[in-house]
Amino acid sequence: MLWLLLALPIPALAGIEKTRGVLPSFLSRYQSPGSDTALWSCLDNTKSIPWSAVNDDYCDCPDGSDEPGTGACPTGSFYCHNEGHIGSLIPSTRVRDGLCEPECCDGSDERPGVCPNVCKEVGETYRKQQDAERKVRRTGSKIRSLYLAYAQKEKKRLEDKISAAEAEIKVREKEVARLKDIADTAESLSEAAMQHKKESPLYQSLIEHSLALKSLQREHKKHLEREKALGDILDALRLGYNPNYQDMAVLEAVRGWESLAGLPHINDVRKEEGSTEAESAVAQQEEETIEEGEWSAGRLDKELDSLLKTDYETLLIQHDKHIGAPAGGSLLFDLAAYIPDAFLPQYLAFRDTLVPWLETFGIAKGIDSEGETDNSAARKAYQDAENTLNSIQKDLDKAQNEVERLFDPEWFGPEGEWKKLEGTCLTKDTGEYTYEVCLFGEAKQKPNKGGSFQSLGKFTHWNNAPGVEPGSPEYYTKQYYERGAKCWNGPMRSVTVITTCGTENALLSVSEPEKCEYQITMTSPALCLPLNESEAQRDEL
Amino acid sequence: MRAVSSLLLLALVPAILAVKSQDFKTCSQAAFCRRGRALSARAQENQSWQSPYSVDASSVAVSPEHASFTAAVKSSLYPDVKFSLDVRVHDDGVVRVRMDEVGGLRKRYDEAASWALIAEPTTSPDVKWAVGPKHVRATYGAKKDIEVVVSYEPLSVTLYRGGKPQVVLNGRGLLHMEHFRTQAADEEKTTVEAPADDSQAVMQVNSRAWFEGNEEDGFWDEKFGSWTDSKPKGPESLSVDIGFPNHGHVYGIPQHATRLDLPTTTGEDAYYSDPYRLYNTDVFEYLADSPMSLYGSIPLMHAHSAEGTVAIFNAVASETWIDVGHPTKTSTETHWISESGILDLFIMPGPTPADVFAQYTRLTGTPALPAHWSLGYHQCRWNYISTDDVRDVQKRFDADDFPVDVFWLDIEYAEEHKYFIWDKKNFPDPVDMMHDVEAIGRKMVVIVDPHLKRAEDYPVYKEAKDLDVLVKSAGGDNNYEGWCWSGSSAWIDFFNPKSWGWWKGLFKTVQGDKWSWTESTVNTYIWNDMNEPSVFNGPEISMPRDNVHYGGWEHRDVHNINGVLLPNLTSQALMSRTDPPRRPFVLTRSFYAGSQRFGAMWTGDNLGTWEHMAVGVKMVLANNIGGFSFAGSDVGGFFGNPDPEMLVRWYGVGIFSPFFRAHAHIDTKRREPYLLDEPYKSIIRSFLRLRYSLLPVWYTAFRETSVTGLPVLRPHWVEYPKDEGGFSLDDQYFLGSSGLLVKPVTEKEVSETSVYLPDDQVYYDYFTYDEYRGASKGKTVTVPAALDKVPLFIRGGSIIPTRERPRRSSVLMKNDPFTLRVALGTRGSARGELYLDDGETFSHRDGKFIWREFSVSKENKGIRIQSADLAAQKPGEAVDGVALSTYSSANDFAKDIASVRVERVVVLGLGANPKSVQAGGKELHWEYNPGLSSDTKKQGAASVLVIKDPGVGVSSDWEIVIQV
Repeated sequence: MLWLLLALPIPALAGIEKTRGVLPSFLSRYQSPGSDTALWSCLDNTKSIPWSAVNDDYCDCPDGSDEPGTGACPTGSFYCHNEGHIGSLIPSTRVRDGLCEPECCDGSDERPGVCPNVCKEVGETYRKQQDAERKVRRTGSKIRSLYLAYAQKEKKRLEDKISAAEAEIKVREKEVARLKDIADTAESLSEAAMQHKKESPLYQSLIEHSLALKSLQREHKKHLEREKALGDILDALRLGYNPNYQDMAVLEAVRGWESLAGLPHINDVRKEEGSTEAESAVAQQEEETIEEGEWSAGRLDKELDSLLKTDYETLLIQHDKHIGAPAGGSLLFDLAAYIPDAFLPQYLAFRDTLVPWLETFGIAKGIDSEGETDNSAARKAYQDAENTLNSIQKDLDKAQNEVERLFDPEWFGPEGEWKKLEGTCLTKDTGEYTYEVCLFGEAKQKPNKGGSFQSLGKFTHWNNAPGVEPGSPEYYTKQYYERGAKCWNGPMRSVTVITTCGTENALLSVSEPEKCEYQITMTSPALCLPLNESEAQRDEL
Repeated sequence: MRAVSSLLLLALVPAILAVKSQDFKTCSQAAFCRRGRALSARAQENQSWQSPYSVDASSVAVSPEHASFTAAVKSSLYPDVKFSLDVRVHDDGVVRVRMDEVGGLRKRYDEAASWALIAEPTTSPDVKWAVGPKHVRATYGAKKDIEVVVSYEPLSVTLYRGGKPQVVLNGRGLLHMEHFRTQAADEEKTTVEAPADDSQAVMQVNSRAWFEGNEEDGFWDEKFGSWTDSKPKGPESLSVDIGFPNHGHVYGIPQHATRLDLPTTTGEDAYYSDPYRLYNTDVFEYLADSPMSLYGSIPLMHAHSAEGTVAIFNAVASETWIDVGHPTKTSTETHWISESGILDLFIMPGPTPADVFAQYTRLTGTPALPAHWSLGYHQCRWNYISTDDVRDVQKRFDADDFPVDVFWLDIEYAEEHKYFIWDKKNFPDPVDMMHDVEAIGRKMVVIVDPHLKRAEDYPVYKEAKDLDVLVKSAGGDNNYEGWCWSGSSAWIDFFNPKSWGWWKGLFKTVQGDKWSWTESTVNTYIWNDMNEPSVFNGPEISMPRDNVHYGGWEHRDVHNINGVLLPNLTSQALMSRTDPPRRPFVLTRSFYAGSQRFGAMWTGDNLGTWEHMAVGVKMVLANNIGGFSFAGSDVGGFFGNPDPEMLVRWYGVGIFSPFFRAHAHIDTKRREPYLLDEPYKSIIRSFLRLRYSLLPVWYTAFRETSVTGLPVLRPHWVEYPKDEGGFSLDDQYFLGSSGLLVKPVTEKEVSETSVYLPDDQVYYDYFTYDEYRGASKGKTVTVPAALDKVPLFIRGGSIIPTRERPRRSSVLMKNDPFTLRVALGTRGSARGELYLDDGETFSHRDGKFIWREFSVSKENKGIRIQSADLAAQKPGEAVDGVALSTYSSANDFAKDIASVRVERVVVLGLGANPKSVQAGGKELHWEYNPGLSSDTKKQGAASVLVIKDPGVGVSSDWEIVIQV
């Protein structure tokens, strides 16, 4: 008795059409085999089930094909017709889950009555949006075509430059060869004398000093760089560390740096003021006292390089000329260099009376200074000519390289559409920082409160994700800037610039989804492909 | 060479990832712990040791209702100091022992229990204390087999069952309550130098040295690192030894990163050299095997043997150290050393684990039934950096069809870490973002910490300051200033009742007359972190102990409770946002006994290592034993970048944790499951879907714990208390009463693993339906455990209800049909339960729910599968918080889901091919794959009968008859 009361069978989804949710191109596969009990094959043919089991809200087929219209099979999909808009395929997992899928504006994914059919409105909005997008693309692609024209012009300019350079090189090469001959001849005459001069201990010592100075400069530079890097790390640590006293080592390091660099105690000032305080403190550092005649740091910085570029051979010749020493280098002439300044006038007077006397007796020989000068002038003319030639060659190489990159898909795109933007710098102010991306150059971050910029990396490549072909539009949607300044306790900074079609070259947003790995969104007309015919037609309608 | 270098590498790893142990005290760096251990050492050496504490027989006064008595206690060391003893037996047989100093210079902290207990327990009407010349005794229990004896000289309390001692208090004479004293009075005595070699002389000079030692060790101030604790009250520590002479295993006292069966800290082969410590601390990169204290403390210890289970709850809130030793394999002695507070001890007589859980949760409350969605998957990261970032994460979860219920925001949402205040640069439209998340039935959890940036333009700080509800520094005059995420910060003193209403008001989503979080929605839930409290520039990364709280109590007195008031109040705040209230969700890092009533916890900042993955399972089990079932570890590990294999295994652990959240440190690479390559991505999708399909089982288990206190995750000793082979198992466990046995893999490069089967029952592989037969004395079997598999078994005799249609969030499953897996036992029977309600309101307390029992009985040659209304049979035991007297199966919720079907019944282990399968006299569609019967001893594929769409509802009574 009770049993009868209890047995209230619950129907599954009664009366679902067998073709509900079927993709139009598969409709032919959902034909009744004759009766409800007749067998129907799952689409992958792994199983046969009664026709009644199709769309009965129970998953029979391993491929899920028996339930195109329900959510019974986790692997299936459901087709919404969306009359008035465009049809769409959604995963079965979204069928009858109580939510009206935006992809199914006709509401067919839910039980009847749950979701209204909004395809008319959705379709309209969609079309408007499409129109707007096409408009942007139309305008953008016009700008883009200017970029293409620029690339062509550039190509022409570079090619002209290349042929002009090639022609000039030919002429110059001849000129260089001629001047070389002259210089060589002159030098072969005086080579022995020159060689002799170079044996002078003074010259040898000068060269030795010069080399030592150069080495010292190299080492000094290395240390300066190291010190700056360490200072940067410690500054970043001091300003950026979570003032988490859990890590006593960090705290010690910060305190140590503060005392060394004469910075205020970070706890004593508001953190945000820390950076400016730090700088003024650095500026207040006292100038060191320098002994008279010694070079200041500033002078070292400015003048050491040019000092080291001195042409010692010329100097040697000038030196000889200056002291008028005979070839062969009598001690008398060189002595001047060793005589204390106080005695020099007497010595020079003595020497000037002595030398003519000696010359008379053929003991000492005067300097043939004229010959030396000619010789060095010839060499100089040759060298100048060769430098000019090299620089033209360099320009040529550069132009050739530029031409190669111009239409290289891995550089400025198959149509050279990005060439116009090379070196264009775009900025985005996010309040705390201003970000700057110089396209195909460097990306930087500048604190708005002042202070030095951080490099976020230099352009390395486009979107090289697997499956993305160089030259395809998707390839140009991402630019990578890498190997920027290293983060304390983190990686070297890098940027991914994600680009979409837009009528302007502009940075839209900056974010840091992972520490020191930035993501910048950008629009550019360079990505606005011209509308194809059907799109263009729709646009005109 | 290669081997050597890799060994070297291994040796280096702990050094790189090690905790900053110098930041945290060892016992030898805490004066009172040093004194406690020295006391124990002196007792050990002295053969004639006897506790100086005794009951004054003449003072014993039994209360009028007979279940309690009080007595005066004195110490032979200090005859002038008075102590009082209060012993009572509750109506469920729990014994409460309280001792305090009376008439002393000051008052000891005595409020710990009042924060932990749900109500003052009632005493037993049946217990009558018999006062004798040497002791007071009471006999009770259904079989009159429990006896409590309080001996006078020396003072001891012993609980016997069947004549055998179960729990002995002060059996080793280590009880010591340091009385309040003045500094000057004591100085005189100890300035006398005792010659070290002449013990007689010592006795003459200081007659208490045999017990207390000869020096005042850290009585009046104490240094640790650069901090000095001023100790204005002087020494006030409490030492008590608790013995379990007939129990060889102890469990509980979370939170420690250690094995479930607590390893020893004393004795010859002590596993740890330091005692277990309970002092809530924010331990950076904690060790995976250590007795160090962590974020929470539950001073509850179970003692277990094949003969029975007992437990003690030591309601103390100050720092506490616990030594554990096993003098023999079958006995345990423990020594509890606390910095301050009265003795307030609850002895739970058991005798079964289930009894102990019931006894404990009658004291501190059962876990609240959580919102159903909170059992889904939680996706967190420090930090999702903008409203658009959150939208993008949601979009990618949906694009890959990964179910997820909750997206979380860590501290960077808040401008300058001023909690509640959105950083509008990156989160310009927080309410819109939340609506976008809610559109898929999801929720958000946002962090709110207890430290407030000291900025006048921060309304929360300003109001707290004006209300004068901030913690004070030593002396009690000024608001304490410390350093935390928000820089210079103040801390709310939630002990101050004035803070309560104010705090609750902050969460109102609609504008009232005061500031409230109108930029949130009723689907915004809360994460309370850093509530130990964590103070970056404080001693042991916490507050100075001489800080002052409401009522003049020092921070040392209340430290371990400090963290729990915040989540408790926050959960009340969330409930009061709506009318009628909806279930709150609050995640807390710090916790204490009673925290289970208010939300979930997690094991804090773990490391992305295999060791941490493995110990996380044990820690979550220990928390379940501690009454706080809603627990989990950060999936993937908070620190570090797990490789795909590790991440997949960690998801395998996570889907079988009550609280299931992935989280990652700000320095880590993103690791949301959609970022993985195949096959890892699809494996994690299948794991997530497995979790969601089993939500009915989880929810049913949570109903049970919310009513009975039995944990959601049950180690073997809870389910099989007599099976010694399972007493130390802590890497496999049962899920509620469902009969599901899981052993998550926490090792690298494993393709199979061993599983212990505790009884002579058949166990079915959940995925392949292979049968494994256990043995009555336990049996270990080897099972497949490839990366795409979490070893999961159905114990024969169980029926598992699942929902197998993958959805994007749990809310979207509410109309989906059920599958029943009927796993026949060796005798051909089976049973299972299902509890369902609306999952987010408290309407279940008004009877709006279903609680079903599915069972299999033999029917002639076949079987009969039935669904019966358990709620109608046991309305009083159905839901938490209220004992219903009646239940109507036609309640609103049952009506709501009247059309929810059982779409499939899978019967495992049927002996033969069915002749017919019928429901309501109608033959059903079914398919039978022959295989092993449930009563076989063989190992192999079980027979599988799949009944298609039996046409029965999940909420109605029905029968399916299978004839063979």
